[in-house]
Amino acid sequence: MILHTLRLRSFRAHAESEFDLAPSVNLLYGPNGAGKTNVLEAVHYLCLTKSFTASRDRYAVRTDAPYFEVEGRVGQVRKEPMTVKLAYVPGEGKSVFVNGAELDRLADLVGLLPVVVFSPEDHDLTAGGPSERRRFVNNILSQARSVYMETLMKYRRARRQRNEVLRSYKKRSAPPPDALLAPWTEKLVGLGSRIVHRRQQFLQAFADDLEEAYRRIDAVAERPTIEYDTIADLAPDATPDDIEDAFRAALDRKQGQERDRGTTLAGPQRDELIFRLDDLEVRRYGSQGQHRTFAMALKLAQYFYLQRRNDTEPLLLLDDAFGKLDAERTGVFLDLLRSDAVGQSLVTATRRGPFEPALDAEPASHRALQVQPGDGAAVVAPDPEYAGGDATASNGVASASGGPDATAPTSRS
Amino acid sequence: MQYTSESVEALVEQFTKLPTIGKKTARRLANYVLKMPQEEVETIASALRSVKEDVQRCSTCYVVADQDPCPICSSDKRDASTICVVEESSDLIAIEQTNEYRGVYHVLGGVISPLDGVGPDDLRVHELAARIDPSFEDTAADAAPAPETMPDGEADDDADPSENGQVQEGETAAPVDEVILAVNPNVEGDTTAYYITQLLEPFDVRVTRIARGLPIGGDLEYADEATLSRALEGRGHVD
Ligand SMILES: [Zn+2]
Repeated sequence: MILHTLRLRSFRAHAESEFDLAPSVNLLYGPNGAGKTNVLEAVHYLCLTKSFTASRDRYAVRTDAPYFEVEGRVGQVRKEPMTVKLAYVPGEGKSVFVNGAELDRLADLVGLLPVVVFSPEDHDLTAGGPSERRRFVNNILSQARSVYMETLMKYRRARRQRNEVLRSYKKRSAPPPDALLAPWTEKLVGLGSRIVHRRQQFLQAFADDLEEAYRRIDAVAERPTIEYDTIADLAPDATPDDIEDAFRAALDRKQGQERDRGTTLAGPQRDELIFRLDDLEVRRYGSQGQHRTFAMALKLAQYFYLQRRNDTEPLLLLDDAFGKLDAERTGVFLDLLRSDAVGQSLVTATRRGPFEPALDAEPASHRALQVQPGDGAAVVAPDPEYAGGDATASNGVASASGGPDATAPTSRS
Repeated sequence: MQYTSESVEALVEQFTKLPTIGKKTARRLANYVLKMPQEEVETIASALRSVKEDVQRCSTCYVVADQDPCPICSSDKRDASTICVVEESSDLIAIEQTNEYRGVYHVLGGVISPLDGVGPDDLRVHELAARIDPSFEDTAADAAPAPETMPDGEADDDADPSENGQVQEGETAAPVDEVILAVNPNVEGDTTAYYITQLLEPFDVRVTRIARGLPIGGDLEYADEATLSRALEGRGHVD
């Protein structure tokens, strides 16, 4: 899957930016704060209907603008290219359009354009709290199976409802009547067990991807593994029914505590993943280098998994991912980006140095785009020196190289 | 405040209270009303007023109707042994439009949602049980104040829902042998369906659910007629 063109309107630093992308590596470079990461964020909105940063939607709207809009022309294998657009109006919410037709639900877009992000925040994957690791798994499973995200959202809703029953009876210092709590427990167990089952299945399949990814990044023969710590000890081949029984039993054991604390105390919302290199637990004992390599391997493994599962090459977004990498790992990674193993990527960097050989060698596959703080708004323009094969820089605007119908895009500030 | 009128703002404010109406749409509606002829505005206003003043609920199925009992409950062409349970009157209308269903209805008045402060007692679930077994109401009323003794099946073993009890009711109260739960297929709808299924467990009545054929997450009110017809045909037992 390839993003041919991208258009940002009133999105963060960008007033109106429109530009073409090359099928392999796209380097967005420029000074810090120029709006490079904004471009990756915009792409992420098209893929997952939200940013990869924790920032709220309304902060993505450019100051004084009434809404933002992100649009991309997406090339598909053996299919007509499609136009995907996401618009957000503060107070009214987001809407998604595919070829001009609005989708009923935002969730329907997720998985259509699979994406993997590498960013400095990946450090939290191995060093941060358990929620970071759950979010990682949720992200992959949401993109791989549309029903997963829906189950997850329903589970959260059921848990909030159940917590409300527990909370309100705690306030009255009375035990919640079974007739009121049991229906929510039932719903919680049903949905939660499906989530645990999916995560369990996923982690089994993912183990090979992780090993493969680690091998590509690091020559050292350590073996990366993930242990899944969930509601109870479950056999690797536990059926959804087994999981339901275990979940019910866990809630049963916590009954007294749940009454005292007025909240649900068992379920996949407390899942944890334990990362190891051979016997070493990375979170506690890993070196800086091991943390970095492990996090990177997780993301690369995510790429391999989604590629296989969705039968298309995910987009790769690298936000300043080379900033903290040593020369050796940078080299490995660059080779990987240029190889057939990876499809299209968008990379931000303050320097274009490491990319120069690639840009020189294959100008048709790779492209450099300069992102600069213009007069009041970010400007995206092809690097005059590395503009790519048939692209020509004119009036400070990225020029077309996509289809025959590509009209001259505009960029104003 | 520049160029705005307080009356217009008040109208915008009131419109935003309606579902699916955002601030922008509310403003558009308010501006439209401003341009409408006086009589038309009066017509809308009196329609709004009479919907609350003149309309009542059927005392059997609780549908919003101009007469009590409602035309469906008083029709001898409807099969009173099958009750279709819906959340709101609007869901009933959606099912009626399919022309597939010949039974009667029961309007719950919502779904169980603790976050919205709605518990089973705020819905017409006991009224539903009482339609199936008229002796239920007393049991439920006695049990209501004590939280632990909600009717959970066992409690009703004494009040045996045998056919003898119902035959005495005469011809008007035909025994109910099927309850179709047509609540929306979301978390609250599912949980309400589960609650009702548990509540009706002691009674000799088949409880089915039609959610399956519906688009996931879709509202019953917006489901198209073909989908609803298919769902009504293929309804299955609640497990
Ligand atoms: Zn009626």
